[in-house]
Amino acid sequence: MKTQELVELLARRAGPVAPRFVQRRLAGAAFAGLVVATIVVIAGPGVNPQLGAMGAPLIQKLAYIGALALAAGWLTDRASRPGVPSAAAAASVLGVVLAMAGLSLVTLISAPAGQASSLLLGSSWSTCPWGVAFLSLPTLGLLLWAIRTLAPSSGRVAGFAAGLLAGAVGALAYSLYCTETSPAFVLVWYSSGALLSALAGAAIGSRLLTW
Amino acid sequence: MSDDLEGRLRGLWLLAQSGDEVAYRSALALAAARLRGYFLRRMRTQPDDVEDLVQETLLTIHLQRATYDPALPLTAWLHAIARHKFIDFLRRHGRSGALHDSIDDVDETLLPVVEHDLTARRDIGKLLDRLPAEQRQAILDTKIEGLSVAESAARSGASESAVKVRVHRGLQRLTAWLRSEA
Repeated sequence: MKTQELVELLARRAGPVAPRFVQRRLAGAAFAGLVVATIVVIAGPGVNPQLGAMGAPLIQKLAYIGALALAAGWLTDRASRPGVPSAAAAASVLGVVLAMAGLSLVTLISAPAGQASSLLLGSSWSTCPWGVAFLSLPTLGLLLWAIRTLAPSSGRVAGFAAGLLAGAVGALAYSLYCTETSPAFVLVWYSSGALLSALAGAAIGSRLLTW
Repeated sequence: MSDDLEGRLRGLWLLAQSGDEVAYRSALALAAARLRGYFLRRMRTQPDDVEDLVQETLLTIHLQRATYDPALPLTAWLHAIARHKFIDFLRRHGRSGALHDSIDDVDETLLPVVEHDLTARRDIGKLLDRLPAEQRQAILDTKIEGLSVAESAARSGASESAVKVRVHRGLQRLTAWLRSEA
């Protein structure tokens, strides 16, 4: 087949491109992963009965996780397309983490003497990152599957970004169960869980996301 | 050839994204000519492979057209795909030694736009025959005969979205074959 014939074949009945195709595909995968992780929390350890009474700490926590998900989602979108710079999106992820670090620092400094370590470690520091990482797995799988149909410039970067987004989704589901209220705790241990997921995503992505 | 590829191609491409078939055909033909120049410039020692790579890249461009962000330059997207395909080609052939120019240092605006078809060694037409029957039929209906998706769906008894999926999967499979057999 001559190239001109191929051009005609490809163009014929090609139809329009669905608007925001990449965003919708990634958002669909993330949302489906959130549903699965939420069901796992409800069916497993259960929702924290005091969740509704947590007030401002819960809002801070959800604001951080939500902002992290948006920034990581933007990064995943950029990284899933060929030749698209992702520096601005990566900087936005860093910005979200730094903002939370600022808030954490303020609470640590203003806390009464001797309280810093309990603000940082809470009562569940040793389980939190693993819980977040575990709950990120369904989303990570769905996102990698979605990105496999796209064209990432770098499989490792796209996998990392997808893992970070999956980590934020896992963190959101984990926060239903979690009783911790300190921003420093959320910053360190929730982020560690998301980072575990991101590292797994990078390792898998560098092998899987080829095209 | 002085270059206003971005200007010419982007307008056509945006029309094509909204479903204009004539614009899409012109855009792909322009892109093919640019890709030919891109690969020729980089693989002077194996010109036989150029047209195969042009065709494989065109298929990828088509399958990936949803990944183009209209806010960004089209040629950057196009060249990123071409570069990826070229590196993939070198890796598959273990021919990185044949690379006599750095991949990135070329001013793309000075590249020739090579209009004439070279001869592809692999025949996509023949590969089509090897596709699973449903995928082959969906491609023959819509892309060779030019039936609408609705007409092809009525003919095969499948839904319209199933026909679209079959066409897409079939083209994906062709691309994978081109890549593995090269």
